[in-house]
Amino acid sequence: MNTVQGLWQGFQVAFSWEGIFFVFIGVTIGTLIGMLPGLGPITAIAIMIPMVYGMDPTIAMVLMAGVYYGAVFGGSTSSILLNAPGVSGTVATSFDGYPMAQQGEAGKALAIAAIASFTGGTVSIILLMLFAPTLAQIAVSFGPVEYFALMFMGLVAISSLSDGSAIKALISGVLGFMAVTIGIDAQTGTPRFTFGNANLLEGIDFLVVALGLFALAEVAFLIKNRNNVGIEKTQNIGSLKLTRQDVKEMTGPLLRHSPLGFILGVLPGAGATIASFISYITEKRFSKKPEEFGKGSIKGLTAPETSNNAATSGAFVPLLSLGIPGSGTTAIMLGALLVLGINPGPLLFQDHPEVFWGVVASMYIGNIFLLILNLPLIPYIAKILKIPRPLLISLIIMFCMIGVYSISFNIFDLYLLLAFGFVGYLFRLFAFPAPPFILAFILGGMMEQSLRQALTISNGNFMILVESPIAIGLFILSILSFAFPFIKNRKIQKA
Amino acid sequence: MGVNRVLKSADRKISIVFILLAIGYLSLSYQLPPYPFVPIDSDLVPKVLGFLLIALSIILFLNANPKDQEEKKSSVSRQDLRIFILVTVLIILYISLLEVIGFVIVSMLFIFSCSWLLGYKNFKVNAMVSILFPITVFYIFNYLLQINLPSGMLPF
Repeated sequence: MNTVQGLWQGFQVAFSWEGIFFVFIGVTIGTLIGMLPGLGPITAIAIMIPMVYGMDPTIAMVLMAGVYYGAVFGGSTSSILLNAPGVSGTVATSFDGYPMAQQGEAGKALAIAAIASFTGGTVSIILLMLFAPTLAQIAVSFGPVEYFALMFMGLVAISSLSDGSAIKALISGVLGFMAVTIGIDAQTGTPRFTFGNANLLEGIDFLVVALGLFALAEVAFLIKNRNNVGIEKTQNIGSLKLTRQDVKEMTGPLLRHSPLGFILGVLPGAGATIASFISYITEKRFSKKPEEFGKGSIKGLTAPETSNNAATSGAFVPLLSLGIPGSGTTAIMLGALLVLGINPGPLLFQDHPEVFWGVVASMYIGNIFLLILNLPLIPYIAKILKIPRPLLISLIIMFCMIGVYSISFNIFDLYLLLAFGFVGYLFRLFAFPAPPFILAFILGGMMEQSLRQALTISNGNFMILVESPIAIGLFILSILSFAFPFIKNRKIQKA
Repeated sequence: MGVNRVLKSADRKISIVFILLAIGYLSLSYQLPPYPFVPIDSDLVPKVLGFLLIALSIILFLNANPKDQEEKKSSVSRQDLRIFILVTVLIILYISLLEVIGFVIVSMLFIFSCSWLLGYKNFKVNAMVSILFPITVFYIFNYLLQINLPSGMLPF
């Protein structure tokens, strides 16, 4: 199937009554949750999962994707208005967006952010559409060895690229992998680490981990910070209009950072946060007026906002074409897809082309919805920031509980959820990044399976792992990406 | 950076906890019953993971700065801790009563008391939200999504 045919099929899905409705719901919920400081896209998607069970997989994916890019889109609002980024991908947005708002140009900053997000998102969807099928074609020939190497690289990359200490990130990944070994071993039927508890035989549901580690842990931090959010003061947003000069300033960064953000999004482990920082730094470095950055520079706001949204769509490339998520957020989506009976990966394009093309087509529509939600409607939507924290906290806790219960109907899982909430809170307290945990938890089972498949083929000979040139290349890349943070640290220390 | 120092001194303790965890995990891995018909048994990956965790924890331990050991400061205030414990108790009550009393009533009680506990004193709004939300959610789940939440003592 070629691109035009595929896209035609995709638009038929996306323009159906259901398609339009759920894109709209997805991006709206994403925008709202993304705006709330402290709640990220992982929480947003995890809370949605119970509702997508039983839905048509394409529509479910359309909805979850909408929540994801909607959250990154909406996160910029609180970065600009409150200097409290709604999601980590919009931290760099606050560098120039907040000073602009302080100078009474909040409306202009919001308009720039919305246009930059829209451009980055839309350009990136075009690239996604062109690249993902090609990558899938290459990946069709991958065997268990290549897959193992690919997942290994994903895990190492997310650990070495996540915020803070790479060792802590790796430990987080190993713990996530350990958590998924609990339960009956799929190949031999041996129960592992179940302590004779029947509730653990089937393993731990990924939703329990996702909601506990992210949503509940985020709630704990909302509780801690429930008093120091200065949202109550109403701000005059000001005019949303841009002058011709403003648009001219934006053009350069828009053109540069849409493709850059996309590439960074495709790379395992990078994602929206890193893309936005790299874009901000490069834009500043190549700027003729670097002194304006941090004081309300239009270029400084446009660059990260373009890049983070471009990276968001880019993150769908490895998820949909290889079936291997490169970030915590796409890992949650993979978990949901598996439950819905869809195996993302190269065969997705043959077996369920409508899933890929439907999601791609829905993204075009979703970005238009987002532009409307975030430009003319922004003064009304920003009111969600005024919801009293205590009510919000109680409701989120309830949604987490019900989310888990409605999937397992098991009280034991709710206690497990609470336990993972504690783990997630401790992780944050001691600066252990949680995304490697969830990625390892979701990839772990597949990694173990492909490793054992490969070793079964070779009858236990480990040399099979280094017989495929593709696998060797991926292992080398893993080692390089692991060495990267150490080189980076050394450079920072020297500078 | 005060925060960083506190974290670093805490890192040593954390790494010891992880080493103990890894030892426990490894000892269970070595007790896994062998399955004779496969070249690679179910114990391989857990063993690798266990040793990997020990190795990483040792690196974490060595990287931590022991000089900052004295500077211990709990980053959670006493008041926050009290609220955390109370919210946890509420959650445990919620979980244990969910199937007994039913979703709607237990959620109403939970939202109201949890919001109140967290400092929301607007009685009217709180009561309204606590009553309307659980009913709406119950309706959406049971009738639109066909997921049956426990109705408990209520007849519907």
